Amino acid sequence: MIQNSIVNAVLDEALKTGGDFSELYLMDTESNTVTMIDGKVENANYQRKVGAGVRVLKGTRSAYAYTADTSETALIACARAAASALKGTKECEAKTVAVHRVGTSWAKIPFSEIDNAKRIALMRQGTNAAKAYSGEITQVVANYMDCDHRTWVYNSEGVHAEDRRPRVRTAIQAVAMANGEAQTGTCSPGYGMGFEAYGEKIDIGNVGREAAKTAVTMLHAPECPAGAVPVVIDGGFGGVILHEACVHGLEATSVGRGNSVFCNKLGQQIASPIVNAVDDGTLTGEWGSMHFDDEGNPAQRNLLIENGILKSYLVDILGSRLMNHPVTGSGRRQDYTYAPTSRMTNTFFAPGRDDEEEMIRTMGDGLFAAKMGGGSVNPLTGEFNFAVGEGYWVKDGKILCPVRGATLIGKGAEVLMKIDRIGKNMWMAPGMCGSQSGSIPTNVGQPRIRVSEMVVGGKGGAL
Amino acid sequence: MMTYEQFKDACFRLALEQGCESAEVYATASDGFSVNVLKGEIIKYAAERSNGLNLRVLFNGKSGYAYTEVFEDPESLVAHAIDNAKAIENTDANPMQGACEYPEIHEKPNPVVDLSEDEKINLALQLERDTLAYDARVNRMGYCSVDTGVAETHISNTLGLKADREERYSYAVLAPILREGEEEHESYSFKFGPKMTEYGDIIEESVANALMQFRASTVDSGEYRILLRNDAAADLLSAFAPMFFAERVQKGLSLLTGKLDQPIASAAITILDDPFEEDNPRAFDAEGVPSVLTTVVENGVLKSYLYNLKSAQKDGVASTSNAGRMGAAGAVTTAPSNFYITKGERSFDELKKALNSGLIITELSGLHAGLNPISGDFSLIAKGQLVENGEIVRSVDQITVAGNFLTMMQGIEAAGSDLRFGPPMGGRIGTPSLLIDRLIVSGK
Repeated sequence: MIQNSIVNAVLDEALKTGGDFSELYLMDTESNTVTMIDGKVENANYQRKVGAGVRVLKGTRSAYAYTADTSETALIACARAAASALKGTKECEAKTVAVHRVGTSWAKIPFSEIDNAKRIALMRQGTNAAKAYSGEITQVVANYMDCDHRTWVYNSEGVHAEDRRPRVRTAIQAVAMANGEAQTGTCSPGYGMGFEAYGEKIDIGNVGREAAKTAVTMLHAPECPAGAVPVVIDGGFGGVILHEACVHGLEATSVGRGNSVFCNKLGQQIASPIVNAVDDGTLTGEWGSMHFDDEGNPAQRNLLIENGILKSYLVDILGSRLMNHPVTGSGRRQDYTYAPTSRMTNTFFAPGRDDEEEMIRTMGDGLFAAKMGGGSVNPLTGEFNFAVGEGYWVKDGKILCPVRGATLIGKGAEVLMKIDRIGKNMWMAPGMCGSQSGSIPTNVGQPRIRVSEMVVGGKGGAL
Repeated sequence: MMTYEQFKDACFRLALEQGCESAEVYATASDGFSVNVLKGEIIKYAAERSNGLNLRVLFNGKSGYAYTEVFEDPESLVAHAIDNAKAIENTDANPMQGACEYPEIHEKPNPVVDLSEDEKINLALQLERDTLAYDARVNRMGYCSVDTGVAETHISNTLGLKADREERYSYAVLAPILREGEEEHESYSFKFGPKMTEYGDIIEESVANALMQFRASTVDSGEYRILLRNDAAADLLSAFAPMFFAERVQKGLSLLTGKLDQPIASAAITILDDPFEEDNPRAFDAEGVPSVLTTVVENGVLKSYLYNLKSAQKDGVASTSNAGRMGAAGAVTTAPSNFYITKGERSFDELKKALNSGLIITELSGLHAGLNPISGDFSLIAKGQLVENGEIVRSVDQITVAGNFLTMMQGIEAAGSDLRFGPPMGGRIGTPSLLIDRLIVSGK
């Protein structure tokens, strides 16, 4: 994006006060969004975000400065601002380019070839499918997003890496209302692909119908009972349990400072022996994928848990210095306004050997969480929570009825040990993950699993 | 590259030449400084300069937006905005504010912003030292930072609107981690504005909140009387504030549709949206509309929704100066200014006596997931304390509290005298502690 001579000048300027590592990050992102409400386009927006950040490390200290102005003068000033955090004298020189890495876009149909008419036609199709599902659907909100995210990372160790990550996502929310009550359903697939995702991966009519089905089902569902019971969590976005209950606690962000329940647990049993978990940023066309991370390191497939034993943390450059652990291609950031830190990519429980029907049949009374919502965790204590978008009450191993308003809570270290079934068929679903380096696209995934006991929160009163 | 003025003028000229009825620019520029310390060392230091410009055009009565952070190629930006306006199918009018006068605003001076970088770094280091020294059980800091900056906003349009603002902000955040035996807990506290240099109260508060989490256990599932502490209540109100936005009401995305002049809460509840509130005053909203005070709920009766220009025109009323934007890059939506439940007579301790037996809820988490602003339902992980006969018996964790926002509002027996505002992120939400007749608790 810019000349090597400027890159070297910036990296050198950043090292002038004694830093032992400097890094220049440049970003140029174009995105288009369309919002359709009740079948009418409500909003269309185009955004171009361009900027740069300079980071200086000295040991485990980090300084970061960013600017929206990417002229040579502004970049040098930015390097100087970052360097001013240290008060020493120059100790090392930036190496000239030693490794050049280029990630080319996975898009077959780039978004520059798409006009608003095509985007709108999709949203209309999704909206119509949702409305056609039931007369109880009173409102449909459809959001379209495409994004061409380009990054350039240069560091003083001679790494030059550029990446181009196309992303598409559609989110349809259906509202069902009756008798002064409202319930909602959402479906929001996303991929690291060009516009070809519509057709190859996303059936937009199906997205609308799925959202409508959840809303209508929940409208007629009684409130979920409250208490501690066995829970079966279906595949796909169900993997949010792994994301919240465990892997946030494996990120160097918390482990590197001693603030995770999973500190000093490498090689130890942290989950039931049937559990295998993976974070894989290399999967072609997936929502959480990239060629190189936002520190210029190649994306990797990281085996996190094998047969219940902790095998690896997720580690960025700063984390590797804090933890004496190799980097894992996990350095990510929302945009140039954030320094990178250790983050997830596509994170999932690997397929197991259990029968999906048997795990419900033998669970007694409990909850079947067919669709999960978002959640959050406190990595220090491992206390997590997440919402159930579509749940069913199970009695004597048989699905009794849908139930609304359920939340699942627990402590990560405890719930991982209580996983007693893992199904054979794994799939993933996209989400946006918020943490210290901003909001980034990540996939969660799993086969259907069973947890022998979890606290289920709901309004339906005690069991 | 062009200057902001050159780029803006070029966009206006091109937009009008190409048949737009009007054009508006919403631009922001900010200059910030942030330092995080740990164990007496700077672990994160950030210097920030950002700017962005959002162009909104009115073309055949429709609004179209385009945003950029690079002041070059105005032709492309205007073309994107017109293209986006052409895509709009909603037929509502899209008014823009013209030239107008603004009320005088008295912002408190904030000298913290003018401290040198070294002084700000020393402030953060001192905050850490003082927190560690405050209580022997403080083992380390989970977070300790000082942030300051200046953020400019400029709104101008071809109808003569010119609204400029410079906000000087500063805040301190700390999260001590307390340790007793093998158990560790942390709690965040923050303080905004010029008084952040007097941080003794947030050290005391965060340590007390962390201590409260030790030796906690669950409770039996069932119905409980609840005293929702002010900070947790503000988090909940913040998440449900969109229910009061006229644009959501008009689109059938709020249960408050058709409820004007009807009781929606107990008589103990009055909600105001006050742009003039002394700690966070503003003269105009994100559309440049002059600020007005709005009574949203009065003694339980819904008196007004929150309006921007577009939703106000649709309902045939005046804007309540509640236009908002999700950053400069976003389109005009609705946002509160200082939106709060007014305080009542009784102190927190008096409410605790009135609770008699039940739960004090001190913290709610997972608000982005476990609640639905359309249905009003919530089911959230919570921490708190068990109260019997008006006295705190023990700490409680690993529970959820569930209810419906409107049902809960109707069941509020009293609002306390301890009104407290959350952080001024866009809008600012405040409430006193709330005594609630019943919520469903899930535990063991």
